[in-house]
This record gives sequence, structure tokens and C-alpha cells, in this order.
Amino acid sequence: MVGSTNTAREVLNVKGLTKKFGGLVAVDDLDINVKEGQICALIGPNGSGKTTVLNLITGVYKNDRGVVDFAGQHVQNLPPHTICWKGIARTFQNIRILSSQTVFQNALLGKGYGNGGVSILQTALNTKKYREATAACTEEVDRILEFVGLLDLKNEYARNLPYGKQRILEIARALITGPKLLLLDEPAAGLNSQEIHALMELIKRISERGISILLIEHRMEIVGKLADWVFVLNHGAKIAEGTFDKVKEDPAVIQAYLGRGGR
Amino acid sequence: MVKLFKWLKKYALLIVMLLLLAAPSVTSQYEFYVVQRGVQNAIHVLGLLILIGYSGMLSLGSAALLATGAYTYGILLVKVGLNPWVGAALAVALTTFIGTGLALPAFRLAGPFLVVTTVGFGEIVRILILNMEPITGGAYGLAGFAKLLPSTRWVYYLMVAALFLIAIAVKRIGESRLGLALKSLREDEVAAEVMGVDVRRAKMVSFALSAMLAGLSGVFLANLTGYLSPDSFTAAESASYLLMVVMGGMQSVTGAIVSSIVITSLPEVLRFLSSSRLLVYSLVLLVYLRLNWVRTGKGSLAGLMKTLGFPLGTGRAKDRS
Repeated sequence: MVGSTNTAREVLNVKGLTKKFGGLVAVDDLDINVKEGQICALIGPNGSGKTTVLNLITGVYKNDRGVVDFAGQHVQNLPPHTICWKGIARTFQNIRILSSQTVFQNALLGKGYGNGGVSILQTALNTKKYREATAACTEEVDRILEFVGLLDLKNEYARNLPYGKQRILEIARALITGPKLLLLDEPAAGLNSQEIHALMELIKRISERGISILLIEHRMEIVGKLADWVFVLNHGAKIAEGTFDKVKEDPAVIQAYLGRGGR
Repeated sequence: MVKLFKWLKKYALLIVMLLLLAAPSVTSQYEFYVVQRGVQNAIHVLGLLILIGYSGMLSLGSAALLATGAYTYGILLVKVGLNPWVGAALAVALTTFIGTGLALPAFRLAGPFLVVTTVGFGEIVRILILNMEPITGGAYGLAGFAKLLPSTRWVYYLMVAALFLIAIAVKRIGESRLGLALKSLREDEVAAEVMGVDVRRAKMVSFALSAMLAGLSGVFLANLTGYLSPDSFTAAESASYLLMVVMGGMQSVTGAIVSSIVITSLPEVLRFLSSSRLLVYSLVLLVYLRLNWVRTGKGSLAGLMKTLGFPLGTGRAKDRS
């Protein structure tokens, strides 16, 4: 194990991460790290590789080079479900919920495969052990749904939810996996200002639970209010990092992303 | 009226089972044989319900697994001389094993590509049976094996009992977290794996359960007919099993049982039409499908394709955007 106290406080430590798609270098020798309890933001112009970074961290893509350390363990190139069990959860830019299932079942999916150590035979026989495991699960899911404010919609089909609530549902599903690090891919995309306000409150409350957050966001007012630390990407490479106030004055960032009238 | 409907829905499985128990007393010998085949098919179709309906992996080679079960039973009894019960257990075990192996291509393939693989598997098994004449009897077929129980009627009751238990089990699995994991494969594999669903394991479980039921159904088939021929396990048979799942509503256990029995008996019911039988048969199915899909709001071809597990335009197992 990596023993020093400095690294122990780092939840996520990415070093030299590189991913090529054919001749295109999507992510180029990227270093980022997220400390415990921090809210970090990943910003940059469209196509700068932000979502690819999340896909690499969560194992959806295999990286070409580099190291992803999570809580002191290498996790790069593990299967996505293993990475999830280790404590990294995420949401998607285009919502990926199961539209033909209910809110409750969508959230329940966050518990992963299987019936919590109960065999298929016991499931089929509806044994006491299976019923107990299910009840425990249900309770846990209900708690999280209450935390995000979706409990009263529990039995509604996910496709019937308004867009904003579907995004919240995706966050709830991610929370149920019990993450130490939550990756949010443009959580505010397509939300109205009221919903954005509620979302920011929710992100803060999640952070207060001790869950570190790395979010991709295009709305600078959200980044400015939430993020403790910001990484700026352009063409797959990091061009700046720091607090938002510092980063937004950076000439390279203004040139590549924010523009002269930048907020 | 609504109340009656709800009541019917709640007790549908029980009603179907009672009707099946009553069947031997009210049918002629030939009709009874058709019902028996229907029940035997239903066991197989419940397996396909897990694979196709829950997990969205389309198989058109399921008749081959049925053949594996039936032939293993037959060969173990005729050539090895095993006790029927031991033979049945071994046949189910072997079929499960082989069927689980079919999950390996499914790790990487989805949609039409997986379908082609399963069709290939189906043909391989059929041709193997046809050519391994010393063991399987080849085109002459295989006969002369004992039944699990002395009378056909008792085999039938055993089958109905098995069907009832399997139906409840499949239903419970569908409602459990395991079922949810399987359904997540159908809806969004990437979301599933990122949420901690071990996709490979889920696919293997799905194939294993469905193969197990195919093997069991094969054993019963051997018991019913007393004679096995490679002609009973063609790709066309696999297609009609798929049809039974689709017509049953893809998700409903009772629906699958009823549709298995109806589709098994439909050609016999329409026999009086002689040569135009197949025409009417297809027409009845088309009209039913059409009505059913209009009712469920999936009237388009694309909707049907998506329900069948391969939305038009995607071939790779994963769309990762």
C-alpha cells in the first residue's frame, strides 16, 4: 500500500492517463487528483475529452497508458462492475436509466448483480433469507430515494418522470452503490434554473456525506459556486488547474474555452 | 368487469394449471398428445422467456439445446443402459453445461450477430446428430428408451407439476434483483455494468437457466414421443419457439405458457383447411401480433425489433456514448 499520509487523503489519483482512438489522441498524458470530500470540476470545450476521462476512470474504456489509483489501489482497466464495487459511481451525459422499470427498480439496480449473496434457488423458493435480504435492500433504497426527494414517485415508471427528475434518479442510483467518489457528467444539462438550484443543493448535501465529487459542467456559475478545484482540458490535455477564480483569469483558459467576455 | 379482469389476472396461472390437470379427462387421445406437446414446449419457452424476454438476448438455436437434452437422455438409456431418472438428471446437466458455453459469444456479440451465432450452433448440433449415426441413429432416429414413469398420463402429470413450479420460479426470478440485473442487460448494458452488474455473469446465468429448462423439456419430449429424429430440431422449430415467447408478451410467465399451448395446437386446429393451413396460420399470428403491438403502443417494425432485442442500426454489444 502507498503509506504516506498525503496520498491517503487523495481519493482519486490519475497519472499520465492516455487514450488514443486511431490517430486521435483523446486524452493526452493527463494528471488529476481528487482529495477526500472535495468537489472538483472538469471543464473544457466540446470534444476536449472530458467524458472520455470519466469512461476511462470507470473502466468503460481501456486506457492506453497511465495509472488510475483509487483509495490507494490501482483500478485502471478493471471491469466496470469491479470498479463500481470499489466505490466509484457515475452518471451519464445522456441519461441512461431503464425507462420501462419503475423509479424504485432503477434505484435498486445500484445494488448491482444478484440478490445480495442469496442463491437463485433460494430466490425461486422465496426463502426467509431471500425475503430478509430483499427487505434490507428495499429499506436502503427507500432511504436514498428520500434523501434525493424521489420517494413519493417510487412506483412511477422512470419514463414518465420529467427530465430533471430522471437526472436526479440517475444520481440516486449512483448513490445506492455506496460510492466514495461520484462522477457526474453534465448533471445540469437540460435543466431549468429552478432544477439547477435544487441540483446544486443536492450535490452539496452529497458532498457533506463525505463523498468526493468530480463533475463535468459547462455552466460556469455552477462550477464557480460548487467546485473547490477545477481542471481545464483542451484537446485531451490539461491546460490549467486551480481554484475557479484563478483558472478563469488564466490566459490559456480564456483563449481555449471561456472567451474574452468570460464570466 | 374490471374486477373480473383483475381477478382473472391474479389467478391466471392457477386457472391455466387447473385446466391442464383436467385436460386428459376431456380430450381424445390425439388431442391429449397435442396438449402434452404444448406443456412440454411451455417448459422450454419459459427458459427462453428468461433469455429473450428478460435479458434481451435473442436465440434462434434453442431447438439444438432441446435436442441435446432429448438425445442425451435417449443415448444414456439405450446405449449405456442407465436408469431413466439418472439419465434425465445427466441430460439436464449436460444441456445446462453446453448452453452456458453459448454465453461466451454473447460476451462480445449482440443483436443480429448473436442471432447468427445461435443459428449456427443450432445447425451444428443438428448435423452432428445426423452424422454420428452409431451413437445417435442418424437419420433413422433413436428409439427404444424407457419412460420416467410407466404411463404417459403420469408423465403428463409430472410435466404439469414441473411446469407449475418452474413458472413460479421464473416469475420470482423476474421480480427479484437478479431479474432486474437481467432486464438491465436488455435495456442498457453499459449503465448496468457501471452500476456494478457483472454483465458476463448475468449473461451466463441467463443462458444456463434457459439451457437447463431446454434440457428438461428435451427429456420430456423423449418421454412423450418415444422416438427422436433430427427433423424435430430444425431452425424452423427454433423460430416457432421464439414466436411462442413473443406472442406470450415477452415478460409474462402465464402468457408464455398459454401461447406455447395455443401455438402448438394451432396447426392441428387448422388442419381442416388442408393446403391453405399455413397461410391462415401465418395470418392469425400476424393479426394477433399487430393487434397486440398496437395495444401496447409498439406498432412499428422498429418497435418490434427493439423488443426482440436488436434495435435497428446497432450491432456491437455496446454503445458507449
